[in-house]
Amino acid sequence: MNDVADEVLVGRVAQAGDERALSELYDRYASLIYGAGVRYLGDRALAEDLVQDVFTAVWRNASGFDPGRASFATWVYRITRNRATDLIRRRRARVRTVSSDPPFEPGEEDATGELSRSFDLASALSRISPVHREVLTLAYFHGLSQSEISRRTDTPLGTVKSRTTAALRALRKSMLEDEGR
Amino acid sequence: MNEHLQLRDLLGPYVMGALGPEEERKVEEHLEACPSCREEVSDLRLAHERLTDLVSMEETPPRELKDRILTGMPRRETRWVPLAAAAVLCALAVLGVLYASGFFAPDEVASANLQATDLAPEAGGELRVRQDDPNAQAELEVWGLPQPGEDEYYELWFGKEGGRMSAGTFTVDAQGRETLYMSVPEEASGYDQVGITIEHFPKEPRMSAAKPVLTGELEES
Repeated sequence: MNDVADEVLVGRVAQAGDERALSELYDRYASLIYGAGVRYLGDRALAEDLVQDVFTAVWRNASGFDPGRASFATWVYRITRNRATDLIRRRRARVRTVSSDPPFEPGEEDATGELSRSFDLASALSRISPVHREVLTLAYFHGLSQSEISRRTDTPLGTVKSRTTAALRALRKSMLEDEGR
Repeated sequence: MNEHLQLRDLLGPYVMGALGPEEERKVEEHLEACPSCREEVSDLRLAHERLTDLVSMEETPPRELKDRILTGMPRRETRWVPLAAAAVLCALAVLGVLYASGFFAPDEVASANLQATDLAPEAGGELRVRQDDPNAQAELEVWGLPQPGEDEYYELWFGKEGGRMSAGTFTVDAQGRETLYMSVPEEASGYDQVGITIEHFPKEPRMSAAKPVLTGELEES
């Protein structure tokens, strides 16, 4: 399942209500959506609501996704941005109603396009081979050294180093494919 | 393997700062003399920097959230792939009878064509509402809307004599388009008008200050 493209997975959700496909999409994007929620909404409970709202929208509306118009990452980014905007507005209204203190001002919602670029990179990462994705995931997201990756994957250290180079090269190529769309 | 190829294989860990001092020194000496490896390093560094940005953006959600979300998904009709054409024909015949007899209500319960106002004369849109217990689901498609300013956003409203109710907020892409899906609360069933306004942070929407960019009549299908 982890070598299947996002667009194929969302197609399975649309066609067959495939919960395993939805689970795989969750594994690929939930941390990014939750992180964006914490950053822009300034509240972990609301960030959880954001993740829930986004995946419920993906589940309900998968059949409306058109891969000819946008990548899955772009589509789910738009859903995230719109839901975050809605949650920010509702939160401000609620704070205003229950408290006379000045409302907490969450960060600007992706004013720099950083979140959009992060979704694009998550998409590019999902398109490289599983063996390349594994070495980058262990190094960047689990913080393992090259020696630790060698032990964890039972792979010679020299191979881990050359594989890391090949993985970054593959990711760069995948990023360029996105930019060329 | 010649030295160039050996050192080229180390460029990934090099840009990550993951080499020991001896290997790092060898790579740096090689880079001084090898333009193609310098070019490779600048390409790999772009991927490295973007990955570092992504890591700083991501945060692992609570472990139980995934189970809560996946087990809480609303039940949905599964479209089974038929095993044989005969089965399809048989099913279609049965469905045809059921539709003809009024056994099934159509999915779409209401829709509205959204008309532009002077604030956005090039804009248009469609809203379709489908029943999905306990709430209805609305699909909104808009086009030709101006890009909202830095503190602005669009808001979808259901309206009726004497009041209106917010159904969600959104922005549009660079082409002024957006397609979005939202739950419509049960209490929206008595509303017969639809409007999209442009709103400003941090002001709360006010009826007196409403600036509709699209309006329409919600008609039952």
